[in-house]
Amino acid sequence: MTNETLAQFPEEAKNEDSAVVFGFWMYLMGDFILFAGLFATYAVLRNNTFGGPAGSAIFNLPFVLIETLVLLTSSFTCGLSLLAARKGEARRVVGWLIATVVLGLSFAALEISEFTRLVMAGNGPQRSGFLSAYFTLVEVHGLHVLIGCLWVVALIVAISIRGLTRSNMRKLALWSLFWHFLEIVWIFIFVIVYLLGVMYP
Amino acid sequence: MNMNNYFEEIGLWPRDSNNIASRYVLGFVISLLCTLGAYFLVMGHVFSADLLLASVIVIALVQVIVQLEFFLHLGTGLSARARLIAFGVAIFIIGILVAGSLWIMYNLNQRMMPSMEQMEQYMNDQVGF
Repeated sequence: MTNETLAQFPEEAKNEDSAVVFGFWMYLMGDFILFAGLFATYAVLRNNTFGGPAGSAIFNLPFVLIETLVLLTSSFTCGLSLLAARKGEARRVVGWLIATVVLGLSFAALEISEFTRLVMAGNGPQRSGFLSAYFTLVEVHGLHVLIGCLWVVALIVAISIRGLTRSNMRKLALWSLFWHFLEIVWIFIFVIVYLLGVMYP
Repeated sequence: MNMNNYFEEIGLWPRDSNNIASRYVLGFVISLLCTLGAYFLVMGHVFSADLLLASVIVIALVQVIVQLEFFLHLGTGLSARARLIAFGVAIFIIGILVAGSLWIMYNLNQRMMPSMEQMEQYMNDQVGF
């Protein structure tokens, strides 16, 4: 596949790649249901604090707002990298992807520091049913973010070496779906776990 | 198939994607307003409890719909119909999963933990204490 950036693709290639995008969408829906299971577990165990702290006592809402804004901004820079890819500007794509991975890793670092603070204060996942469910839900999301970061690092390398080939464009499209999807899951975590957790002690 | 409209051709983006950049910007700005709005409503205790809950849920739903439409482009593009159906099925399963879990576990909690009076009543009636 040499210099595909300027080449015309046959119809089969288009059908193949749109099938891949739809298949990835099906995976995302499966992941959505997985998160729903974790949300249901959290909702059931929310009040089982076993003498430990409730959410309102341990959540640091201004900190969580910063996490939310960092992830939201990374979702936007992800969109900007796709816009640059349409114009064929490989260097600008790489620039926006680097911005995205920096924001994604900042989000992960903020989350890890938050968890460290909780565990150091004796409020780790073994403290109560509520905290087990909380850590499971938020950590599974955080793990997805880390996997997304790994994926984008691989993308940065691939695009730097081979440019905006068809296969790199396809990977970029799939990764953008994954990344925007994680942002949507985070809205639910932000509202259901944090905002409602503070509203209803 | 030209690389310049690759994302349109594979159905990721809507067919007429001339305004795609403004869609991303609009989605970002609305999401930002929703996040900050919900946050300051909760932190500022602006409304009464019921109104606050309702407004936070409405804001969250608006933000989710905006991101689904402007970032994930659900509802536009090549396989929009199939994607919408898959999404609808997922929401259906999620509804059963979440509502069913809460319903069953709430009922179970009530059955498993009788109050002190109920226990005394039971002892009086059934066991003869």
